[in-house]
Amino acid sequence: MTEYTVSVQAYAKAVLHCAKHPWATVHGLLLAEKKEGKIRFVDAVPLAHNWTNLTAMFDVALQQAQQYAKTKGLSVCGYYVAYEDTKATQLSASGALLAKTLVEADESTVAFVVDAKKLTPGSSAAAFVPYVYAEPQWKEQSSAFGESGKGSGTKGASFVLENNRVVAVTRKLVDERAEVWVHDFDEHLDDVSLDWLQNQALSERIRTT
Amino acid sequence: MSSSLKLLGEIRQSSERRPFEVLKLAEPLLNKGSITQAGDEVWLVYEQVFLAAVDEGQIDVAKAVLEILHKRFGEESQRVKRLYGLVSEATGHPEDAKKLYDDMLEKDATNVLANKRLIALLKSQGQYVQAIQELVSYLDTHGNDFEAWLELTHLYLDQHLYPQAAFCIEEVILQQPANHYFHLCYAEISYTTGNLDVALKEYLRVVELSTDNVRGFYGVKLTADRILDITSSRGSGKSKAPSHLKVENAPQKAMLERLSQLATERLLAIYSGSSDAMKKTLEEWLKL
Repeated sequence: MTEYTVSVQAYAKAVLHCAKHPWATVHGLLLAEKKEGKIRFVDAVPLAHNWTNLTAMFDVALQQAQQYAKTKGLSVCGYYVAYEDTKATQLSASGALLAKTLVEADESTVAFVVDAKKLTPGSSAAAFVPYVYAEPQWKEQSSAFGESGKGSGTKGASFVLENNRVVAVTRKLVDERAEVWVHDFDEHLDDVSLDWLQNQALSERIRTT
Repeated sequence: MSSSLKLLGEIRQSSERRPFEVLKLAEPLLNKGSITQAGDEVWLVYEQVFLAAVDEGQIDVAKAVLEILHKRFGEESQRVKRLYGLVSEATGHPEDAKKLYDDMLEKDATNVLANKRLIALLKSQGQYVQAIQELVSYLDTHGNDFEAWLELTHLYLDQHLYPQAAFCIEEVILQQPANHYFHLCYAEISYTTGNLDVALKEYLRVVELSTDNVRGFYGVKLTADRILDITSSRGSGKSKAPSHLKVENAPQKAMLERLSQLATERLLAIYSGSSDAMKKTLEEWLKL
């Protein structure tokens, strides 16, 4: 059973990426530390909010993110996506293909679809719906993130947020409009001074909330 | 004219969707009544504030502004009428919106605003096939509305219908050949479907039409290098490259190498003003 933990930094950055482009499909990568069979997503690298079904800049960004991850001793083994259609929680065909590119480089890769319903102010649940690769498909792990049920999928994966403050901290940051601090690769392509890999100012903001 | 009004004008010009900022800029103008400094443009500002308000879910503000517009333009204004539809859409009453747009179209089948709003409504309801059908039918009579062709491109892309999307963006380019953004879209669609020769050509057009276009140069390097890899490995008979990748109309090896070199130089030059971390990331990537 592989245990996946999502840190507040990874979760908050991904959600803030969604908050910055609420009417668009957004997607990005998740970077993880691997220790003793446990996988901990420590950061999110936002990629795009436009043309998310097109692969050219995704290829460039993925290569650069994989290089960067290596320098930090991390692995790119997570893909997150939030669809323009707020009712969609199914991984799309292109999402499946992009995530497959990741799983070919790192077999512990999982994909997360953001469930917009769980981003509403009253919700305290994790808004990530995990998908685990069971060739040739991605299987939804419907009972995940500490909800009742065994949380077992075809590959036996369990998912948990790092602590019970993650959702509350994220909500606070969304309310404070901290999304202005998120810069994805799309933005970097318009202004190369923006550090889309680290988003340091945002990391600091999350750390001190 | 105040700086807020000027900024609001710029946002209108660029058609950017920045509802939070628009409301922030407009609020004091509305409260103090200084919005009238906009002169004749005040009605454009009101419409802009209305659209920002529905975007942000500030329905009370939207309704208040709508009343002002209604008072000025009355029942007969189609432009104001469709805003009532937007309120219905924003408050979770899509059926009321649909009825309004259908009524408007019954009275005048060529009403562009109602037509487009209906298509947007279908899209938001997840009825993509119908939205596409309506848009295709609209384009039958409004074939030179390139923005509509662009919207159709997006609808097809959302449905993973890449060849259809390519056809639509080609239409946009026919009408707007000097806009690099459309060539960029075409380049990226072509890359995605494996038409690398077309992708390279279009990325080159992008960097020709727009100075220091980073996406363009990344695209040139990415495609030139890939074509070089594929043609050399296919030539040696040991190719692992999927057969659907089209490189037939690509330039010769020498030219490809020069284009790759050009892209490298331009990227390094553009990034020279960036942070050390970003410069290093580019340099490492170029070594791949």
